[in-house]
Amino acid sequence: MWEHLRELYAYRELVKNLVVRDLKLRYRNSALGFLWCLLNPLLMMVVFTIVFTVLLTNNSIQHFPVFILTGILAWNLHTTALLGAINSVVGNAALVQKVYFPREVLPIATVLSNAVNFLLSLVVLFGMIMLYRVPLSATVLLLPLVILVQVVFTVGLALFLAAVNVYFRDTASVLETLMLAWFFLTPIFYRIEDVFPLYSRLMYVLNPPASFIAAYRDILYYGGMTNLDFFSRTAATSLLVLVAGYVFFRRASRGFVEAL
Amino acid sequence: MPPAIRFDGVAKRYIIHHQRPRSFQEALVNMVHRRNGDREVFWALHDVSFSIEPGETVGIIGPNGSGKSTALKLISRIIEPTSGSVAVAGRVAALIELGAGFHPDLTGRENIYLLGSIMGISGREMDRRLSAIVEFAELERFIDTAVKHYSSGMYMRLGFSTAIHVDADVFLIDELLAVGDEHFQRKCLEAIQGFQQQGMTVVLVTHDLPLAGKFCPRTILLQQGHLLADGPTAGVLQQYLEVAAH
Repeated sequence: MWEHLRELYAYRELVKNLVVRDLKLRYRNSALGFLWCLLNPLLMMVVFTIVFTVLLTNNSIQHFPVFILTGILAWNLHTTALLGAINSVVGNAALVQKVYFPREVLPIATVLSNAVNFLLSLVVLFGMIMLYRVPLSATVLLLPLVILVQVVFTVGLALFLAAVNVYFRDTASVLETLMLAWFFLTPIFYRIEDVFPLYSRLMYVLNPPASFIAAYRDILYYGGMTNLDFFSRTAATSLLVLVAGYVFFRRASRGFVEAL
Repeated sequence: MPPAIRFDGVAKRYIIHHQRPRSFQEALVNMVHRRNGDREVFWALHDVSFSIEPGETVGIIGPNGSGKSTALKLISRIIEPTSGSVAVAGRVAALIELGAGFHPDLTGRENIYLLGSIMGISGREMDRRLSAIVEFAELERFIDTAVKHYSSGMYMRLGFSTAIHVDADVFLIDELLAVGDEHFQRKCLEAIQGFQQQGMTVVLVTHDLPLAGKFCPRTILLQQGHLLADGPTAGVLQQYLEVAAH
């Protein structure tokens, strides 16, 4: 396993090039280019804000646009990275069958390019935070750490899903449907405090995205400290998912060429 | 010095599932109907052993389905042997399916760097090679054009040129003469002769017996996954013709 990790490290430049390729292609063929990564969450924010403050007026959440945007951005990273990565091996079948390179590079690069996109879209979030004068404290410095933990979790899950999808091609369609359910089950447009306690406890144990969003909101929306004890447990879970996903992918990847 | 390529009792088995479930849906249907799926076991290579020293040029010949491509894939690590071991020393450049790594929307220049990193070469190393690659491919005027606008000949030239400029220790060539027009083919042959003179290892898979005779002092003959002969090319070619006559 260490040998494989060393090999992966030797291919870091390929990861970088694939990320750059992804971003270039994403923005080269659209008229608004990189503005889309700002415009998309902004439009989503407007839609959710209209629905939950204008149409449903019994909403007591303060600074709703900032509240919803922190949730949407984190969720977008989660869902675009996974839906992209799940097809990363199958979509590059021609390459995988012709040239040797550590295959885990493909899902990893997809997740990272979506993470770069996420970082760019944070500009919008900080713009809204200033616009609504949300008071922030020094805990905002924890943001890179929260992002890192989310990326670790997402890479782990992406490795697992990309490998399964090689053998069962409908995994991607199943995931698409599951994502919708997952979106509603995760406290994105509602507060976790507003659902019954058993559910919120269950959420925090079984649903890492709920934990990430809670951490983002603690530091970017409430401007306070996040529960470090709880956050380190989330980090440990994420790391476990990464290790398990990597080991699974390595084993599965031996049969990729024959299954593709 | 260790051999450049060493096959030690290598066997490769493919399991062909005639009804392998390709999706959860099919898996479920098979479970309900208690179908196990017909499996067919196919041995592409049986107990093949040989070793190629650094600097050798070796041809691999044999009729269709004899295991030549499987051997090449094993050398380039795309697949793993079912039993036995394959050891390769140094960097391998496979001149197989040139341009498989190209992305149509990227320019020639961007694709050169991408293909370089797929082969494990850093951008700085590629900087030094860029002009040689472009010149060899004769694509100076189009290097900043997206490759989807290239003709198929230009595409192959770019792929071949990139692959031969990566300083590999072992070159794998599958049906070399499928590349481009006569002028470019001659250039490729000269490039290969250059590698031979520089002491690189070359493995050439071909149906073109005169070409094997011209390039390879030594040839390996495969038939139905068995190593039938391994030795000086003239003798092996003779044997191949006798096998083919039967």
